[in-house]
Amino acid sequence: MTSDFHHLAGAYALDALDADERAAFEAHYPTCDICRADVVDHRETAALLAAAAAVAPPAGLKGRVMAEVSSTRQIPPRVSDRLVDLADRRRARNRRTAALAAVAAALVVIVGFATIAFGPGDGDDVEAVLAAPDAVVATLDGEAGTLQLVWSAERDQVALLGSDVPAAAPGRAYALWFLLDDGAAPAGLFRPDDGGTLRTVLDVDDLQGDGFGVTIEPDTGSPQPTTPVLYSAII
Amino acid sequence: MSDVNPLRLIRSAGPDPVAAPADPTGAALHQAGRGDEDAFARFYDLTAAMVHGIVVRVVRDPSMADEVTQEVFVEIWRLAPRYDAERGSARSWAATIAHRRAVDRVRSEESRRRREETEGRQQPAPFDSVSETVGDDLERERVAKALDSLSPPQREAVALAYYGGHTYREVAALLDVPEGTVKTRIRDGLIRLRDTLGATR
Repeated sequence: MTSDFHHLAGAYALDALDADERAAFEAHYPTCDICRADVVDHRETAALLAAAAAVAPPAGLKGRVMAEVSSTRQIPPRVSDRLVDLADRRRARNRRTAALAAVAAALVVIVGFATIAFGPGDGDDVEAVLAAPDAVVATLDGEAGTLQLVWSAERDQVALLGSDVPAAAPGRAYALWFLLDDGAAPAGLFRPDDGGTLRTVLDVDDLQGDGFGVTIEPDTGSPQPTTPVLYSAII
Repeated sequence: MSDVNPLRLIRSAGPDPVAAPADPTGAALHQAGRGDEDAFARFYDLTAAMVHGIVVRVVRDPSMADEVTQEVFVEIWRLAPRYDAERGSARSWAATIAHRRAVDRVRSEESRRRREETEGRQQPAPFDSVSETVGDDLERERVAKALDSLSPPQREAVALAYYGGHTYREVAALLDVPEGTVKTRIRDGLIRLRDTLGATR
């Protein structure tokens, strides 16, 4: 199968695969060094073929493009690209320390409530993470609101809490990522309950990172983020 | 996390490899990815002829081509924050988006009908109509020479796929050769082009 895929890099780079094969190759090539390099190479060659066909567009087109651009929102950067932004935000970290302490205090109250509301079970884990001596608390900001995160490196656990969290589509789940200096490492999948309440603990064996990001992924997991970042925080 | 050195996070804050003056297109796209519309206008100026050229080749219908070119640039603007120079040049990124969008358009049923009504069932002539083209003549000549270095079957397969917007299966049917043969011709043709163009760079 793999050698079949290697054969497809050229046709893929020229968009000469039909929809099914394209989807299959797109699932394969990011994980294959040979195919990835071939695709990059072939695309550079294809761009030369495009340049050789250059035709000036109509004069009015630029104005129409720029008008549409000024009202078109850009997608957020990839998790790894976001590190630069996060580094900028890190400088504001000291200013936020007091705010985080307040969040931690509020979390104790939330968790207390949650334990009563949902009974024992996960709540014990949440409380245990929160009570860990090395617990790090962060607020993950996103367009849909915020999630509260507590990480204990000693326990290798992350607790996540939130309310009114939008449901993930069938077959999809939220994925938590540790942000590393050269990318992101998967830290587990989670879903809010039917009421949008999130209260879960993920085991994150031995991961270390400087921040967290949340994306939506297939509920079988992804080796790297494949969708825009929905929530993120630096710690 | 006092044991974490924040400096390794800000490695891109120094001289930016993407913004190196050697690649004004990459620099413009990189800035556009941070919401800079003036930079995007520069990027448009640098790539519009290439983008429109490949869209026209694949789509063929002039008014549809204008539409697709506009969509392509808006899409490039939208996706610009995700442009990653490590995965290829800004020009190849733009060409990829343009070609993909053009191909997807002609492969949708409605468009296929429109295209066939206006064009009949004629096959695209692979390397015609240089007269209407613009841009870097030297570059075009270099590519034309590289294409000449391909075997005729390789050239035909690459041209039908890229300029014609056909899948390799369609190319195989058009040429009445096995699909595997077309895949191989496309791959070998691209490798040959790469080696030839790289060697003369």
